[in-house]
Amino acid sequence: MLRISKKVCLLGDFAVGKTSLVRRLVYDRFDDRYLSTIGVKVSRKAVAVSGDRGPVDVNMMLWDLAGSEEFTRMRASYLRGAAGAVLVCDVTRLETLEDLAGYVLNLREVSPGAEIVLAANKVDLVDDHHELLERLDEVALALGARYYLTSALTGDQVEVLFRDFAVLLLSSDKSARL
Amino acid sequence: MDVELLRMITHDRGIAYAMVAPDLHILATGGALAVLDCEPPLADCTGAALVDIFPELIGCESALDDILRGKLPRLEFALVNRDTAAGDIVYLTMVVLPDRDGQGEIQGLFFLVQDVTDRGRMVQKLAQRRNELSLTRRELEIANVELQRLSDTKSQFVSIAAHELRSPLTTISGYLEMLLEGDLGDLAEAQVEALRVVDASAQRLLGITDELLDVARIESGRVDLSLIPVDLTGLIRQVATELRPRIEAKSLALVLSLPAAAPAALCDVTRSQQILGNLLSNAVKYTPRDGRIEVRLTSAEEEGFLEVVVADNGSGISPEDQDRLFTRFFRAESALQTDATGAGLGLYIARALVTLHSGRIWLESELGKGTTFHVTFPMA
Repeated sequence: MLRISKKVCLLGDFAVGKTSLVRRLVYDRFDDRYLSTIGVKVSRKAVAVSGDRGPVDVNMMLWDLAGSEEFTRMRASYLRGAAGAVLVCDVTRLETLEDLAGYVLNLREVSPGAEIVLAANKVDLVDDHHELLERLDEVALALGARYYLTSALTGDQVEVLFRDFAVLLLSSDKSARL
Repeated sequence: MDVELLRMITHDRGIAYAMVAPDLHILATGGALAVLDCEPPLADCTGAALVDIFPELIGCESALDDILRGKLPRLEFALVNRDTAAGDIVYLTMVVLPDRDGQGEIQGLFFLVQDVTDRGRMVQKLAQRRNELSLTRRELEIANVELQRLSDTKSQFVSIAAHELRSPLTTISGYLEMLLEGDLGDLAEAQVEALRVVDASAQRLLGITDELLDVARIESGRVDLSLIPVDLTGLIRQVATELRPRIEAKSLALVLSLPAAAPAALCDVTRSQQILGNLLSNAVKYTPRDGRIEVRLTSAEEEGFLEVVVADNGSGISPEDQDRLFTRFFRAESALQTDATGAGLGLYIARALVTLHSGRIWLESELGKGTTFHVTFPMA
């Protein structure tokens, strides 16, 4: 089976659930204690997807980056070589959705061709999705990204998002298509 | 670099290093190898691919290539988190540098890894605290908005209720006046007495509804002042005259210490009269029979302000109650022990009106000895 490795950064404000999404995806666990990430934590998740020439194992190196402002300066070096980024916002704090455009700008400066996808996280905490979906439609359209309503707590859409993203990364990888 | 010197420096600083060939395989390792708790141990990694030992470098191949070609001076990742077998987090700093030979030619990469866990834990604690504070502040802001919304709803309700109460009360008051003045025929003495009691209660209710309407106006920012130059001595005399019957009924001595000529104040006549009326009325209410009330008009300590002082030798207010005296619906314990009635809105309204005039209001009081209120108004 063809195996490719891709660096995927998780970007978003602090406390939006980036670490929880990775923990749910990689270990299928959830911890509701909030522990601020500083610097970066790299985890690995292999996803088997169908490629043009058969099954491909997409080995995603997940870079869970600190969301706090004080790490903005060092974020550029972490973003180097990223094939893609999962943009994470907290649906209970819509300002974290608005902030995503800034992270995309940072990403594009270092990795112009990186693919992006949007995780609207903590969806289990919202009953009325109407306003949320309107804002998500607008922001996702402006960023040119698909979005998923995820919950690291329940696991909703977490695997789907990363599987679809692995397919997207594979489809944009010229070497894997040759 | 001198190998022995390198060994000493890296040991001293707790830095492990790996010499890496251009094909990104590890040629040799050294330094404080124990800093990296990995499997296989760093000491046994000779020949291994660099990215297998440091998966953090996956995706950075082009950057490593740039270093090998002299296009990038270094690559650094600060505060890389790694889980230990014991379940702790260690923080590492990873640096990739070009490894140059004696002629300065790049012959490979020099990879350094330093355990910075102590610093990382401090940084993490700071970030954690700051983020939690930020989240708490946000929650408080949301709660504040909700409280403001509830307060607005309550003010709206109070305003509507007061308006609805005022209309029938005005009608009742009007008919009582006609009855008492004999416009609707003669009444027996007992009937007149009974109607006077009813009239007093109606006037009290009207006073409360007016205060509630003022509170609603203040809280919704709907109090408009018509500021004009006003002679405060005249205003004080007018208020004193209106209260004369109540002052005489309690045999109080009212002393007006007013200058012959005082600068005019810039204020709203009706609202200033309301402020002064409230202070003097309170003094009358809470001063026992045969007591003494003094009203003075002086220049305030603050330049450009006049100060009105209303002093009584009444029951006084405890220090605890003084702190809450200007809040809504608050009545001091000493006031509750008297027959005096009130909704606890007068001083709240007075302070709001004084503030709207850019003035200040404060008091000094001692239980059993009396109270002195000070209020300032800007000069015209």
